[in-house]
Amino acid sequence: MQRFLALLLWLAAGPVFAQSPSQVPVSSVVQTDNVRAELISDVASVKAGEPFWAGLRQTIRPKWHTYWKNPGESGLPTEIRWTLPAGVTAGPIVWPTPHMFDIGGIINYGFSDDILLLVRITPPADLSGDTLKLAAEANWLVCEDICIPEDAKLELALPLAATATPADPKTRALFDTARRNVPMESPWPARYGISKSGEPTLAVEAKGLKADTIRDVYFFPAEWGPVATMAKQKASVTADGIQIPLKRGDAKASMPEHLTGTLVLTEKTGNGEVRQAFDISAKLDPAFVPTQASLAGTAGVEQLSLVQALLFALLGGLILNLMPCVFPVLAMKAAAFARLAGHAQAEMRRDGLAYTAGVLVSFGAMAAIVVAIRASVGEVNWGFQFQSPVFSLLIAYLFFVVGLNLSGVFEVDGRLAGVGQGLAARSGTTGAFFTGVLAVIVATPCTAPFMAAALGFALSQPAPATVAVLLAMGLGLALPYLALSMTPMLQRLMPRPGAWMDRLRQFLAFPMYASAVWMIWVLTQQTGADGVVYALGGMILIAFAIWLLRVGSDASPAVWLRRGVAAAAVLLAFAATLKLENGSATAASTSGGPASGVSFEGWERFSRARMDEAVAAGKPVFVDFTAAWCITCLVNERVALDTPASRRAFEQAGVVKLKGDWTNRDAEITAVLKELGRAGVPLYLFWAPGAPGPKILPQVLTEGMILSELASLQQARR
Amino acid sequence: MSNLFVARRSLMLGGAALAFAPVAAVAAGPDLGKPAPPFTAVDSNGKTWSLADLKGKVVVIETTNHDCPYVRKHYNSQNMQTQQREAAAKGVVWLSSASSAVGEEGHVTAPQANELTKSRGAAPAAVLLDPQSKIARAYGATVTPHMYIIDASGVLVYRGGIDSIPSSNAADIPKAKQYVRIALDEVLAGKPVTEASTRPYGCSLKYGRSAS
Repeated sequence: MQRFLALLLWLAAGPVFAQSPSQVPVSSVVQTDNVRAELISDVASVKAGEPFWAGLRQTIRPKWHTYWKNPGESGLPTEIRWTLPAGVTAGPIVWPTPHMFDIGGIINYGFSDDILLLVRITPPADLSGDTLKLAAEANWLVCEDICIPEDAKLELALPLAATATPADPKTRALFDTARRNVPMESPWPARYGISKSGEPTLAVEAKGLKADTIRDVYFFPAEWGPVATMAKQKASVTADGIQIPLKRGDAKASMPEHLTGTLVLTEKTGNGEVRQAFDISAKLDPAFVPTQASLAGTAGVEQLSLVQALLFALLGGLILNLMPCVFPVLAMKAAAFARLAGHAQAEMRRDGLAYTAGVLVSFGAMAAIVVAIRASVGEVNWGFQFQSPVFSLLIAYLFFVVGLNLSGVFEVDGRLAGVGQGLAARSGTTGAFFTGVLAVIVATPCTAPFMAAALGFALSQPAPATVAVLLAMGLGLALPYLALSMTPMLQRLMPRPGAWMDRLRQFLAFPMYASAVWMIWVLTQQTGADGVVYALGGMILIAFAIWLLRVGSDASPAVWLRRGVAAAAVLLAFAATLKLENGSATAASTSGGPASGVSFEGWERFSRARMDEAVAAGKPVFVDFTAAWCITCLVNERVALDTPASRRAFEQAGVVKLKGDWTNRDAEITAVLKELGRAGVPLYLFWAPGAPGPKILPQVLTEGMILSELASLQQARR
Repeated sequence: MSNLFVARRSLMLGGAALAFAPVAAVAAGPDLGKPAPPFTAVDSNGKTWSLADLKGKVVVIETTNHDCPYVRKHYNSQNMQTQQREAAAKGVVWLSSASSAVGEEGHVTAPQANELTKSRGAAPAAVLLDPQSKIARAYGATVTPHMYIIDASGVLVYRGGIDSIPSSNAADIPKAKQYVRIALDEVLAGKPVTEASTRPYGCSLKYGRSAS
C-alpha cells in the first residue's frame, strides 16, 4: 500500500509517462473548429466521499468568444450535461468573471482565449472500483462575427485511492487562476432603488473608496429581464460608495426583490491595475428613489462639469459681495466712487481694473496655497471636513465673531487688515489694487463656508482646474466694481453712502448670530448635548477675550496682563475642539460599519523595529501593507491571506504576520514603500529565515501562492 | 452644515445635468403598447411595403439570417414555415426581414431571397430586403430570429423570442412554449398578450460594422 502511495505521489509530481491508465487521470480532448475542449480536475486521484473540483477547459480560437450565464443581447451560455456513476453529484458551473464584447453594436457577455468553467464534484463515501469516470456532453455557442453552435463528448477518468492527491503543478495553477477569476462574494451591502421614471439604480455601500483610483465600473446582470444589457454604464464612485444608474430591461414583470449580478471594476494600485469582481445581490429599497440627475453620473464628465463649476464659482463670487464682511470694503469703495465721481472716466476705469487685479492676485495666491497643501498632504478627503464636529464648532465661532464685529463690538483693524487698509488708503492705482487685496482678506472669514464648498469641488480636480475655479470666484467678487467703473450709467444709480450703511451692517449681525445658533444645532447632531456646553462656553470665552482687549487704553500698564488672559481664554475656547475630536472618534468607532478600517485580527501591527527584530531572530516574516480604501488589498485578504487554509499554514510555519495600515499615509510605511520602489499598496513582503532580503509577492494573490510559499519554507527547513 | 452640502451638491448636479447627453442607444427598442415604428421597404419581388398601409391587419415581423444556426433550427424543423402558414390562414401579414448589412452573414439579394423561400418551402407574405438594417434598428432587434407582433391598430403588442427554449437544438422545439403562436392567438381573439416581452435568442443581428 505504501509503495502504491509513493508511486501515486511520484506520478502526481512528475510528468506522466506511459503508465497503466487506471492509475493516472485520463482525459479526452476534443478539438472543434473553434474550441479545444477538455475536462480536467485539481486532483490526480480521488478519495471516496471527498469532494473535488473538475472543470471544462475551453481554449478558444483567437478573437472568438463563448458565453457567460447571461449571454447579453445575443448568444447562449455554455452547458454541461454530466453522466456520472451512481451517487456521484456535480454542482452547477461556477462562472468566471465575464468580459463584454461589442459585436457591431450588440453587447455580449462572455469569455475569450483560455477559460476554465469550474464544477464541484462530490463522490459518495461508498464509491468503489479503481477509477471514477466522469462523462459530460458539453455544448456551447462560439462567435466572432458569426456564431457556431458546437458540442463535445468529454471524459475524465480519475484513479480512486485511499487519499486524494493533488494534480500536477501546472493543472493546479490553472485551477488556482480559475478560482481567482471567480467573483468574490461582495464584502459590501448593496441595494437598489427605482426612479420615478422606472429606471433602477444600484447602490453598493463601499464606503471610503477613492474615486481617482477606480475606473471601468460595470454591473453584469445575472439574468435577462430586469436590467437592460448596456454598452456603457455611468457609475459614480464617491466616499459613500458606488452608484450605477441602470436601464430597465425588457421583461414586463415587476422588478425582483433582489437584483443579482457581478460588479466589475479596475483599481489602480501601487503597482499597476487590477480587475476585481464581486457577486452582488441588491435588495429592492423602496425608500431609495434615485433622482433623474443621478443618471448622468459624475464620472467621466469632468470637462463639462468644470465649465459648470466655473460658472458657479463666478456666481458664488458675486454673492460674496452681499456678505456682511465685505461691507467695510463696500463702504470704502462707495466713498472712493463718490470721490472720483467728478474725475475722468479713464481714471475710474483704471481704478476698477486695479481693484480687480488686487482681488484676482489674492485669489491666485490662495489657490497656490491650496495646491501646495494638497501636494504635500496628498489626497485630501474634503468631505470629511463637513462631517467633522471640530469644523462645525470653528464655523460657529466664526459666525459669532463676525456677528460681534457687525454689531460694532469691535472693528477689524488688526495688523493684517491694517496693513492693507494703510496701503488701500493711498490714492490712485496702488490704492485700488490693495483695496482689492483687502476685500479678499476681510471677505475670507464670512466666505469660508462658500469657499469650502467651491474648494471641495476644486480639490477633486487637477491643479489647473483648482486655480481656475478660485480665479472665477475672484472675478465674481470684483465684477460689480469693475462694471461700475466701466459704465457711468450704473454709477449714477449708486445710493449715497451714509448712516444707512452702518444701520444695515448692524442689522446683518442678527442673521450671523442665527447662523451660529444653527451651527451649534448641527454640532449637537454630531456630538450630542455636550457639544452645546463646549460651543457656548467657547463663545463666552471669545467674547470675554474681545472685551478684555477693548477695555482701557493700550498705554495702561495692565495691557500685557489683559492680552495674556485674553489669549488664554481664546486658547481654552479652541481646546474645546480637542475634547470634541476625542468624543467623535469614539462615536465613529462604536458605530462601526464596513468602512471602519483595516482589520488586525490575527495580525500584528507593522513597525519597522518589529520587522527588523523578527527577521534578526531568524523567524519567517510576512508583511501585508494595506489600506481601508484598497479593494485589491481587501480581496487578497479574503481569498488568499485570511482563508482557513492559509491561516493554518501561517501558524504551522511559525510566521510573524505584520500588517501595515496605510489608510492615512503613515510616514513609516511610506518610507518602506519608497525604499522598495512602490508608490502605494498593496505590497506583500515575505522574509524567509536567513534570506538576504524580502521576496516581493505579486499584488494579486491566490491561496495557492501563499500555500506554496509556506510549503517551500517547510521543505527548506527539513 | 447641511447647507454647505447643498451648495456643493447643487454645484455637482448642475455640472452633471449639463453633461447629460443622450448616448446613442443601439438596442433601445420601441415600447410595447405604443404605435409600432413605421417603415417602408421593398420586398424580394420589387413590391413596396409600408406599415401604414397595413392598418387593420395583424402584422408579424421576423428578422432573419439564413446562415444563422438558430434560424436554421426553426427552418430545418419546419417550425417557422408552419407558423407562417397558420398566420396566413388567419389573415395575418407575416414579413420576414433580411436585415443583415451588405457583406455580412445573412445578406441576400432579391433572387437569393426568392431561392431561399422556394428551397425551404417558406410562406411569409413577403421577404423584405433591409440591407441597411433600418427595420432592425427601428425595432431594436438584437438577434435573428427576433419576433414582433403589431395589432390591427398599429400598436406593438409582442416582442421577443420565437419560443421559450434558447438552444440551437431542433429537438427542443416540441418541448418549448411557442410564444409567437400563443401571442397571435390572443391578439386575434382580442385579448391582451399574456407574455408580451420575452427573451429573444439567436445570433447577433449583423448590423454593418461601419454604420454603428
